[in-house]
Amino acid sequence: MNPTLLRVDKLEVVYHRVLTAVQGVSLHVGKGQIVTLLGTNGAGKTTTLRAISGFLGMDDARVTEGSVSYKDERLENRPPHQVTACGIVLVPERNKVFENLTVAENLQVPRAAKGAEPRRLLERTYEYFPALTRLRRREAGYLSGGERQMLVIGSALMCAPELLLVDELSLGLAPLVVDELMRRLQSIRDELGMTILLVEQNAAIALEVADYGYIIENGRIVLDGDPGRLRSHQDIQEFYLGASKGSRRSYRDVKQYRRSRRWYG
Amino acid sequence: MSRPHASGYFRTGYGGEIALLDTRTQKAGLAAFALVLLALPFYDAPFLLDLVNQVLLAVVGAVALMLLTGFAGQVSLGHAGLLAAGAFTTGVLFKEVGAPFWVTLPASALTGAALGVVFGLPSLRLRGLYLAVSTLALHFIVIYAGNEYETRRGFSTGVVIDPPRIGEWVLTDARAWYFVLLGFAAASVLFALNLLRANTGRAWRAIHGREAVAEALGINVPAYKVLAFVISSTLTSIAGCLFAYYRGFVSAEAFSLFLTIQYVAMVIIGGLGSVLGAVLGAVFVTLFPYLIEWLINVLPTPASWANQVFAVNYAAFGLVMILFLVFEPQGLVGIWRRIQNYFLLWPFKHRPLSGSK
Amino acid sequence: MQLTVNILVLAAIYALVSCGYVLIYRVSRVLNLAHGELMMLGAYGLFATASLFSGHPLLAIAVAALLALTVGGLVYVFLMRRMTGEAVLAAVLTTIALGILLRGAMILVWTAQEQHPLEALGFSSSSISVGDARISTVSAVLILTTAAVYAGLHLFLHYTSWGIRMRAAGQNPLLAAQRGVGLHAIYALAWGLATFTGGLAGMLIASDAGLDQTMVVIGLKAFPAALVGGLDSLVGALIGSLIVATAEVLLIYYVDPLLSDVVPFFVLLAMLIVRPWGLFGSKEELDRV
Repeated sequence: MNPTLLRVDKLEVVYHRVLTAVQGVSLHVGKGQIVTLLGTNGAGKTTTLRAISGFLGMDDARVTEGSVSYKDERLENRPPHQVTACGIVLVPERNKVFENLTVAENLQVPRAAKGAEPRRLLERTYEYFPALTRLRRREAGYLSGGERQMLVIGSALMCAPELLLVDELSLGLAPLVVDELMRRLQSIRDELGMTILLVEQNAAIALEVADYGYIIENGRIVLDGDPGRLRSHQDIQEFYLGASKGSRRSYRDVKQYRRSRRWYG
Repeated sequence: MSRPHASGYFRTGYGGEIALLDTRTQKAGLAAFALVLLALPFYDAPFLLDLVNQVLLAVVGAVALMLLTGFAGQVSLGHAGLLAAGAFTTGVLFKEVGAPFWVTLPASALTGAALGVVFGLPSLRLRGLYLAVSTLALHFIVIYAGNEYETRRGFSTGVVIDPPRIGEWVLTDARAWYFVLLGFAAASVLFALNLLRANTGRAWRAIHGREAVAEALGINVPAYKVLAFVISSTLTSIAGCLFAYYRGFVSAEAFSLFLTIQYVAMVIIGGLGSVLGAVLGAVFVTLFPYLIEWLINVLPTPASWANQVFAVNYAAFGLVMILFLVFEPQGLVGIWRRIQNYFLLWPFKHRPLSGSK
Repeated sequence: MQLTVNILVLAAIYALVSCGYVLIYRVSRVLNLAHGELMMLGAYGLFATASLFSGHPLLAIAVAALLALTVGGLVYVFLMRRMTGEAVLAAVLTTIALGILLRGAMILVWTAQEQHPLEALGFSSSSISVGDARISTVSAVLILTTAAVYAGLHLFLHYTSWGIRMRAAGQNPLLAAQRGVGLHAIYALAWGLATFTGGLAGMLIASDAGLDQTMVVIGLKAFPAALVGGLDSLVGALIGSLIVATAEVLLIYYVDPLLSDVVPFFVLLAMLIVRPWGLFGSKEELDRV
């Protein structure tokens, strides 16, 4: 059993003092695991990530209940640079690179935790993403989606993190590219012992690489388990994996609109 | 904006919503205040009267700037230029054609309106910082034009103007000026309040809040933006004309960038988004130099300071402005509302949150 | 020929002053309208150190320059840091208020009398001939200093880690913070560098033309040069300074000497109408405000 690196306990996040976005979310991430948090738009995934990485303050949101603990240290409501200093680095969904800087400059910006050697970290990044080597002098704004995502993960690696928070890696990318990136994440986990919390909408691909998964809906965790269990769950199959029984049906037959989901199975 | 009532809001109709005065207490208070204002000039203190006159003059300009920056959200650093425009229109017309005040006043207003269009056009393309910079540039250009006039026509020390006259009666007495200026100040405050509770005010608030949404709601954003500039600068030019007559003297030097900053300070220190703020700010900034001068004489300050009062003034003014910007962004109105709330809500501390569960 | 020399000198002045505007704007989106006063403070600093270290002019200059750097950083740490995250306009108004405060304070300390730091240093003004034109030695030094400063800044911003981090923080402060870059440190550094270059400009201008209240006007006139070039581009500041200086010198000579203080603002207005983000500025800047 892997020791728990990150524990989120009954987290509640409130926006503008009146809107509860996330309620009673509990999850834990063991060291060296890839844990995935799945959900549709507006489920509360990004809010949870923001609560962990310290970005809530800007949106006038606060953690009103519960806790975020990292190696027994309480992290909720702390500013981003402190969270980074603890070894948690975010791979954001939007505004992920410095557009007007070259790839090489982008990789020079991050400040690694104390003790890490920048040159070694840079070599490591280029090892995992060799495509970046030939793109060194290109301005980040001109990179394609997949190249950009590689740059983001690479620059996150330059901070020498222990826990990587990845927000919607697959958004807007071709399946082949997503595959490739997921495989890289797995290598990073295997070779560097990195722990990864993967927030995703694409359940199929996420469940392929993850060791454990949580489903979040309307701000609550509704199901969790290892990928096998999740994949075989009927509701997951229908709502997240797109499987349906038999021939085409009209919308009226779709369970989603006929009954509320039952998560007990 | 609704007045704070201790236990809730009691509007029952639209008329009540836009009424200027709600309770009998407010009406009584205003009546008492009006009585004080009318009785003031009969208290024999000519220095005080001059002070109050200056405050009243400032109120007109402050209200104008508050409408533009505080409500419509259009930043303007060109206020002194507009004041100068009004003053110079008066001066030029007087010197060149000997025009009387009932010609120069509307002429100043017209100049103001025309300049308002010019100052307002950049606002269609620019916002915030860049808009402020464009108004700053326009200010310098207006001042340059004033300087050119002075130099070309040989009035290097400024243009002297006769006081306004109606027939045989000449407006020189400070008391008479008081009532004239009080009339103008009250009129501009009332005008502003009325404008704000009408369509124009609501359109401005919408534009200030979120321009794209205002546009989507069918508000003609460009027209209202330019209208804000035009109304504001017309009022400001009228203030400039009054300045010219009150001082009897027009000179480009008087309309420096510092004057603009003083008006911006009035609006900020008073509290953005409130006509009361404009008045409070005007009072504060106008009286401030006198306060400083008094403090220099009363407190043990270095002797050199007494000789360089204007420098102490500058430094103190800058300091106070910084303090308000950093610690009290809502200005004097914010402080006033806090005090008001404390007494209205006692022994409770917080207003009920609207829409809380 | 004399006209060309005058243009070059004026352009160098504007360029040296406006790189301060660009540095701070690029990094923190704040327009430092106290730059003119900080320039003057640098010049008064030199005047003070010249008397303190009389007989060691180079030491006086070095100490004054270092003081300027420190003062800039301190202005950020004690004042502007509180405005970080607030509306940009509030921060700009704060710099205006700071400028007013500084101006008053400087008069109180040093009086409004014109001072001559050059003489206090022990130098006397001289001039050299270039063709059939004359240029004062100080002005020549100023042109060289501007070139050196720009070269140095370019190297710093493009080839050192902290320079790259500074550019990154200017583009995407949130991402920079998340990558471990301390934003307050970057902003303090930007303010320090800007005040350093401004102080240098102030010292040189004061050595050439004497130190009095008109220096602030020069600071204000250099701002259009920065904006014409694009408020976040150093190259733009150079080109913008050249354009504004050319317009000013030519118009004064051929049209009307009184125009001197207003020409930069005509150019500014023209640029705002045609291309608000300047020649080399990034277009996105416009939406940020």
